[in-house]
Amino acid sequence: MSTIDIELHSVSKKFGANRIVKNVNLSIPKGKFVSILGPSGCGKTTTLNMIAGFESPTSGEIRIRGRDQNGVPPEARKIGLVFQNYALFPHMTVAENVGFGLKMQGRSRQEIAAGTKRALKSVRLEGFENRYPKELSGGQQQRVAVARAIAPSPSVLLLDEPLSNLDLKLREAMRVELKEIQQDLGMTFVYVTHDQEEAMAMSDRIIVMQGGVVAQEGAPADIYGRPRTSFVADFIGKSNILPISDVGDAETGNGSLRVLLEAAGVPIMAAPMPGLGPDKARFCCIRPEAVRLADAAGALDEPANLLTGTIQKVVNLGAYLEAWLLVDGGITLKSMIRSTRLDKLVVGRRVELAIAHAAVQLLEE
Amino acid sequence: MNRLLAILFKISLAAILAFITLPLLVVIAASVSPTPAVTFRPSDWTLGWYAALWDSRWLDPFLLSVKLAATVSVASGVLGALGAYSVAYAKCPGHTAIMSFLLSPMSVPQIVKGVAIVLFLSSAGLFNLLGTPGLVVAHIVLTLPFVVRMAATAMFNFDKRLDRAARILGAGPAQRIRYVLLPLIRSGLFSGMTFAFILSFNNIPISVFLVKPGQTTLPITVINHLEYSLDPVLAAVNVASLLFILGAILLFEKIGGFSAQFHGGSK
Ligand SMILES: Nc1ncnc2c1ncn2[C@@H]1O[C@H](COP(=O)(O)OP(=O)(O)OP(=O)(O)O)[C@@H](O)[C@H]1O
Ligand SMILES: [Mg+2]
Repeated sequence: MSTIDIELHSVSKKFGANRIVKNVNLSIPKGKFVSILGPSGCGKTTTLNMIAGFESPTSGEIRIRGRDQNGVPPEARKIGLVFQNYALFPHMTVAENVGFGLKMQGRSRQEIAAGTKRALKSVRLEGFENRYPKELSGGQQQRVAVARAIAPSPSVLLLDEPLSNLDLKLREAMRVELKEIQQDLGMTFVYVTHDQEEAMAMSDRIIVMQGGVVAQEGAPADIYGRPRTSFVADFIGKSNILPISDVGDAETGNGSLRVLLEAAGVPIMAAPMPGLGPDKARFCCIRPEAVRLADAAGALDEPANLLTGTIQKVVNLGAYLEAWLLVDGGITLKSMIRSTRLDKLVVGRRVELAIAHAAVQLLEE
Repeated sequence: MNRLLAILFKISLAAILAFITLPLLVVIAASVSPTPAVTFRPSDWTLGWYAALWDSRWLDPFLLSVKLAATVSVASGVLGALGAYSVAYAKCPGHTAIMSFLLSPMSVPQIVKGVAIVLFLSSAGLFNLLGTPGLVVAHIVLTLPFVVRMAATAMFNFDKRLDRAARILGAGPAQRIRYVLLPLIRSGLFSGMTFAFILSFNNIPISVFLVKPGQTTLPITVINHLEYSLDPVLAAVNVASLLFILGAILLFEKIGGFSAQFHGGSK
């Protein structure tokens, strides 16, 4: 296990009577790309501001590189921050903006020039040194903001929704670039976003926040494949979330559990959930791509639930078809099916569906 | 309809400009008049009245006014910047009340301010402050609200995220003021200071209560001269001070850059 750059120990923050961040525990490993993901207002910026030192926790402890940060002002924390709106100094050129941190460290003129050049090179913005921020496009300003933050070589860079002001194409391109910059520099990135795709695409670890608490933490594939709550399942990707009752014990050799889909009264088999007792499970989550047509082409070579249903609606998304299927008993499942199966998906037709046991995830709440 | 409005707008603009410039033209013409009576003949003009200004009778008051205006502008600039900082930037407790208080002298007529200051100085027994020290204080009272006003507007518009950005880059309080806040409010502060300079340089209603014989400001000297005669030397004084003020504005503009190429806030 690599060393830890940032730790939060039961950190809470109150504004007046409102508890905005509640008892958050985090440890952010050195050199990793960690995203804090959550809906608007869940306390992401507040958490970041506490790490940066702009807000102090009402209770709890924040450690950076092992040292308690209580009473340490932002200017002494030696971390970088990229603001959502960039906050570039409008009266300074690109080079002056990027060199500002080095200048504050009291570096020599040559060191500042060299550091500025290096930072601008890593964000691929050479040749813009003498422009003013307002003479740059949004994407270029964004790069300057990143260059300015990395120029003093902080060990940790915090980024607060740095791509949210850019259009979709640029955002996707910048995702790749930011990830490359992070890997090249080996810097720890703490990346705040409410865009789950962004978090999935870039992160080594994702911390999902909801209403001031950490709802789940883990690798992107884990969070997507094994969401713990219906909030996480719903927030990360698309999913069918169905209330269940009557969770039975493992009945089959592979450890699958038998549960009753409450609305339909249909029993299905679900994957066992480590750390989640059968009595705690309230919902199950089925990703749309796990709902398949149970014919030769869609056959699964693993234990699967077989259901019958009627096709209600089909939307062609190009590579995929999105279909709504009314399962006998009265529940609707959304499914994603490859477009090559278009001929099978006729509205009103009855179809057999296959859902792997392992694809049915039990959720806590 | 729009066209009619546009024409009306142009006519009124021309009228305003004429209203401002025509008297100036008359004064300029009078200042080169060949006879003591103010006349104007294009064929026959002289710069003799300007030559007459090179005399301690006019030079001393001019120098006093310049020193006064410069001192007042710098003092009001420093005090105004500090006041605006705590009121509009740091938002100290009671900042709205303090702001109104700082601006309140604006609504007191200048004559009243002049009388009040003289009464205060004499009832407090501070007779030796009458004259130049009193002038400095009185002119600061006069000009401070304008400087506070303009500096406060600039600080109010200052994007505080820039302060945070500087902070996380390692800038301490003094460095943030020097490298980020001051450059961004400089134009507002300097326009306030320019205004203070002009107000002080031209002031009559307050100065008239405080000047001492032998230590009069230029506008008061002009008024005194007017009691004896209305001759072209007054026109020459006016044109000369006008040129001086213009020069001063250009200088302030050069240092302060009111029309700098950037604007506050980051977009
Ligand atoms: N200084 C403050 N005083 C009072 N309430 C605040 C303050 N700052 C934030 N809040 C409240 O705290 C909650 C969380 O705010 P925060 O900015 O951390 O959300 P966020 O997760 O960053 O949201 P977004 O994605 O919209 O940026 C919000 O309800 C907000 O109104
Ligand atoms: Mg936020």
